[in-house]
Amino acid sequence: MLTDPRRLGVLVLLGGGVLLLLWYLAPWAVPHRSFGGEGLLLSPFGHHLPQGNLPQGYRDGWLYPLFYASLAWLLLTLAVAWSKAGPKGLFWMGLLGLLLFLLTYALFQGSVAQANALGERPILRRHSLGLGSYATLAYGLYLLLLARLFSPGGLAFLVRRRGVVVPLFSLLLAALLGGVIVAVLKEPSGEVGSLREAVMLRLDLITYTYQLLFSPLVNPSGFLQSLLLATPLVFTGLAVALGFRGGLFNIGAPGQLILGAIAAMLVGVYLPGPRWLVLPLALLAAALAGGLWGALPGWLKARFGAHEVINTIMLNYIAASLFLFLISANEYKFFGQTLHLPFKYPGYEARSYEVRPEARLPHWTELVAPGGELSFALPLAFLLGLLGYVGVRRSPGHRVLSALLLGVAGYLVGGLLPGPAVAFGPDLTSVRLNGAFLLALLALFFFHFYVFRTVGGYELRALGLAPKAAEYGGVLAGRKVVWVMFLAGALAGLAATHYVLGGGIDEYRLKQSLPYSVGFDGIAVALMGQNTPLGVGLAAWLFGILLTGGLQVNLQLGISRELVAVLQALIVLFIAAGGFLPRYFTDPLRAAEVELKAEEVKR
Amino acid sequence: MNLDAAFLVALFLSTLRQTTPLLFTALGGMFSERSGVVNIALEGIILFGALTAAVVVERLEAALGPGPHPWLPWVGVLAAMAVGGLVAWVHAVVSIRYRADQIISATAINLLALGAPSLVLTYFYGNATNSKEVTNRLPLWGPEGFALSPLVYLAFLLVPLSWWVLFKTPFGLRLRAVGEHPEAADTLGVNVYRMRYIGVVLSGVLAGLAGAYLAIGFLNQFVRGMSAGMGFIALAAMIFGKWHPLGILFSTLLFGLASALAIQLQGTEILPAVLVQAFPYVVTVLVLAGFIGRSRPPSAVGKPYEK
Repeated sequence: MLTDPRRLGVLVLLGGGVLLLLWYLAPWAVPHRSFGGEGLLLSPFGHHLPQGNLPQGYRDGWLYPLFYASLAWLLLTLAVAWSKAGPKGLFWMGLLGLLLFLLTYALFQGSVAQANALGERPILRRHSLGLGSYATLAYGLYLLLLARLFSPGGLAFLVRRRGVVVPLFSLLLAALLGGVIVAVLKEPSGEVGSLREAVMLRLDLITYTYQLLFSPLVNPSGFLQSLLLATPLVFTGLAVALGFRGGLFNIGAPGQLILGAIAAMLVGVYLPGPRWLVLPLALLAAALAGGLWGALPGWLKARFGAHEVINTIMLNYIAASLFLFLISANEYKFFGQTLHLPFKYPGYEARSYEVRPEARLPHWTELVAPGGELSFALPLAFLLGLLGYVGVRRSPGHRVLSALLLGVAGYLVGGLLPGPAVAFGPDLTSVRLNGAFLLALLALFFFHFYVFRTVGGYELRALGLAPKAAEYGGVLAGRKVVWVMFLAGALAGLAATHYVLGGGIDEYRLKQSLPYSVGFDGIAVALMGQNTPLGVGLAAWLFGILLTGGLQVNLQLGISRELVAVLQALIVLFIAAGGFLPRYFTDPLRAAEVELKAEEVKR
Repeated sequence: MNLDAAFLVALFLSTLRQTTPLLFTALGGMFSERSGVVNIALEGIILFGALTAAVVVERLEAALGPGPHPWLPWVGVLAAMAVGGLVAWVHAVVSIRYRADQIISATAINLLALGAPSLVLTYFYGNATNSKEVTNRLPLWGPEGFALSPLVYLAFLLVPLSWWVLFKTPFGLRLRAVGEHPEAADTLGVNVYRMRYIGVVLSGVLAGLAGAYLAIGFLNQFVRGMSAGMGFIALAAMIFGKWHPLGILFSTLLFGLASALAIQLQGTEILPAVLVQAFPYVVTVLVLAGFIGRSRPPSAVGKPYEK
């Protein structure tokens, strides 16, 4: 068992050793960094200063007292771990570690602010804490985890939350391996005096890569950009997750997305009419086309037993051909006969005509502040809708209906309320986040409602968990398979509205550069999110952040942004292997055993 | 349509060339599935093999200087086989030792094969889509006008060889037993895990070979996404061929013919090229729908074994 009490001291000793090593090898703080990533690295064991001395006005006097305080804390944690205080003492030590980290952060920010106050333009840029300080934080969290794990029922606590533990642990492992990849791929710039300094530069480079990957969290335009990139991932993640819930593996999201894009383009370009008619029809067409393309392999499975994995993949290639056929030329020869098509826009590039303005999804600024005034329509609609759903205690149908009605009422009332005037800078308005984001949120609610609150969803889950039992329980398995694949395809098809109707990349049209491979990314999103709507939403956002940050990594460090794709693949691999955690984290029966044992101990 | 002799000869040779990577991969898939492990990672492994062959040969060329080195492409082939086996081994560890869902584990490897080549290519060549061209390609063997890559001959030789291994040797018997009824095989003293590891790694080695053929036999560089679904088509061919070497020979020839037709019809005015390219994929869907009912997979396939 993981929680043998004799292990506690050893585990703390091990963690403490790693911490000490990182304190010695890694920089504690980086007050300034130039564009290519080279930085001034401060460490109590000796700085690395490319220009020879500390920048004017920056004081590192706080570093040494902090180091001795941290060292005392480390020794204290070891003493506590081996003493009788055990888990309870470690809990306080962990909290103390978090406090130490906060203190480090405050002192560092203070010094930087002091130095930057001297000049008109900031002297120090791209400043951040280094791996040494983060190690303090990590060790503090590690102590908290150990304290929980070794107190009574701790293991059962973790095992019960395995839906969170396994993905997070896999993420951590993937990040570690990603660090190794970065270390191999990229030679740090700067002169090296000793082995310790060489290691320090490399560790700093890895840290900086991850800081860049997560940088969208701390700047507004990056934040919006991460939401933009998360939008299609929510749809495709749900498309894959819905399949998983029904025991099907839908690798066909790219093809379903393509068909959705074609249908949205056809309606958006060629159907004249008012906005209230054309926009919903375009959305519906995207969902329908994607759904039918998804239902096809479902039908092939139900009717002929052909496995959906290979068929969905083949349909991806076929969809890609179809897509190119429509927009790459307007004249084709069939057996010597000439066929004329009207879809390709004149010019060298393979693209369709532009979608009519009536069929476009609004840009986020139009939703948040139409006409330059902050609108309360959407927040109020959301709030009242939620109230309607939670407040009404009758059948699911009644709840949804009341939520919808109240939501519409909130939208109308909120639209009438006057709002304060706001103006967004060009860095924010240039982010092409659009109404598809709201559709993605709705899709998350739909998924939750359908899968967990309706009979159909119950049947779907039953089919996924135990197909034979579900069939004897009265589920028409064949019909259900087709229906699940239809819904999954419809979700993937809606992802296309983000690109075609929302102008998610740059234009409101179908283009050859349509990034349909986000359909594959949906697999990672679904697995990371454990097929729950909240999980899928968060996982999509995480990947949206990483993809946005990947651009920065490419720009500043010259590492291919495909690093993010590799991280995604590794996460999928590690989640598949249960994070290499003991079996009771992956096997529900063994998990139940652990929980029962914990109950017995309690009594 | 000009169905003259030259067209037919070109079609025949093109069919052989198109069949070769499918045949390697499908035979590999057969060994893996006969041992009870589904390996849809073959698609990705082909890419890893192709990348390895192209990069190893190109790097060695850069180190050794110009001039023909007839042994050099063979080093690339061996390296591709080794890397293919290694990647398959990862799939084996995750799905056999950690009892992961085999489809998910393999999909992870396929996703890795979409991203990892870009990192490697950027590192060596500064662009994310293709490697530098190599000068030392695999040679061509055979009479003038009908010369084929030695790997083509090897692929077709592997058919009787794998038939013999699978049905006439104790190893083949054990491999099949492990895929049909692992508990029974275990009782008789067969090491289920080891047989499955061998089956999966063998499939990776063969898929790596297919990749080497694509990169330094068929072309002379690695191009992103050059496997173009061949791994999946090979799996469909394996199912269609009923997990039997002879069946696989005929089904891969069918798919090879479809691909060859797609190539030979390009540039003619019979069908538009963009549609013709979808031909093998359509054939795959039709074949899986029409014939799978009559073939039966090894009964333990896809199920993790637990002692």
